[in-house]
Amino acid sequence: MKYAYFPGCSLSSSGYDYHLSLKFVAQALGIDLIEVRDWVCCGASSAHATSHLLSVALPVLNLSHVEKDGFEKLIAPCLACLSRFKAANVELEHDVDLKKRMHEIFDYKYQVKVKVYHPLEVFFEIGLEKIRERMRKKLTGLRVACYYGCVLTRPPKIARFDNVEDPQSMDSIVRTLGAQPIEWSFKTECCGVSMTLTRSDIVLKLSNDILREAREVGANVIAVTCPLCQANLDGRQRQIEEAYNVRYGIPIIYITQLMGLAFGAFPKEVGIQKLITSPRDILGSIGLM
Amino acid sequence: MSIVFSKENLQLARDLQSLTDENVMFCYQCKKCTLGCPSAYAMRMRPHELMRAIQLGLTEEIYWSGTIWICLSCETCNTRCPQDINILRVIDGLRELAISKKFEYYNPHPAIPALHRIFMAFVERFGKVYELGLALLINLRMLTPFKDIDMASPMLMKGKLKLFPHFSHGTKELRKVMAKIRELEGAR
Repeated sequence: MKYAYFPGCSLSSSGYDYHLSLKFVAQALGIDLIEVRDWVCCGASSAHATSHLLSVALPVLNLSHVEKDGFEKLIAPCLACLSRFKAANVELEHDVDLKKRMHEIFDYKYQVKVKVYHPLEVFFEIGLEKIRERMRKKLTGLRVACYYGCVLTRPPKIARFDNVEDPQSMDSIVRTLGAQPIEWSFKTECCGVSMTLTRSDIVLKLSNDILREAREVGANVIAVTCPLCQANLDGRQRQIEEAYNVRYGIPIIYITQLMGLAFGAFPKEVGIQKLITSPRDILGSIGLM
Repeated sequence: MSIVFSKENLQLARDLQSLTDENVMFCYQCKKCTLGCPSAYAMRMRPHELMRAIQLGLTEEIYWSGTIWICLSCETCNTRCPQDINILRVIDGLRELAISKKFEYYNPHPAIPALHRIFMAFVERFGKVYELGLALLINLRMLTPFKDIDMASPMLMKGKLKLFPHFSHGTKELRKVMAKIRELEGAR
């Protein structure tokens, strides 16, 4: 299966481990990821705060490259990119006026034929059965709090994936891997990433709420699907511990890294060494490291 | 405070409707937006109050509160609004108006729109975001040059932050698009 792949700005720097692990898992499941030609930033939360037209034009620029190259499916692993792409597609479908304006701006007339997926959606389409077939090790002993992030399922009109308030897709993948997914109420809470550089106090509070809840429900790992959530919960964990005078030490691991480990990858192959809060103790205790 | 209902007071809601296609008059103050909002605790004017203020045309109060910049764009309010108002789109409309020259009100959080400007400047320059440069410039802008150094240093050590920006080959096309949009928006 061939998919166009939009890594986005994060996956080429702060989310490089996500990129590594996604490539590994994709290969194991027989998914061909082909990077979008000459891709540019999707605009994330800054474009739509400055100009609506720009916030649609940036995704369309990338999507038209994908369409021109003959792909019908695009994988965007970062939630910020994903939601911008999906929103652009939905808006173009419904707003004829906007579509006309886009055609004014671009030489190539984008026909809204590209479907945008998050890796989770693709894994789900492929099916849990195939994931089970590929497994080499069971992750028994991991108690995983699945953190989906804010815009994977929201708003439902645009995301069109899973339950809005209580998504289950990652939980069922985690269960398939042999780990124990934990029911908790912070699955889709916001970690505050768009404020991370300007109002860090808000980010620390929101991320602390998430970490505290994860500890209270007894999770020893949080699985994430977005490089921005990961950077906040993992990179800022030391700061949060200092600010709130607590000790968490909960590793924040990408779902693709967990899948990679279960598929028999060496920890280094899926970028485990790049995590700031070391998962060595927990993964060691179940014989993975 | 007494508010006189007049045509001028309705102007803000009307301006926003023409910009965003969202009608704030549908809001009946159920407060679901505020109850779900993760950053409402940090807002001087909470989301449902913001909606009411738009209905009443309290432009100055809206901008002075700085609420539109504290919004995290997490889309919880849109998802839960029983009247199906796209509240984030309304807030984005207010942000767009604030950046355009028509409005010059005091902004208690000037660093946040500054971040968006720097972000887009990097995108226009390189085609991608340059994370380290973005952090450095916004830290200088906020006069806290060493903020988050304890977060950045382990990330640098692990190779999670790149020292130098990447350059996208699509940048030339991107610049053309951005210039064209500026032209279109200037004409509006």
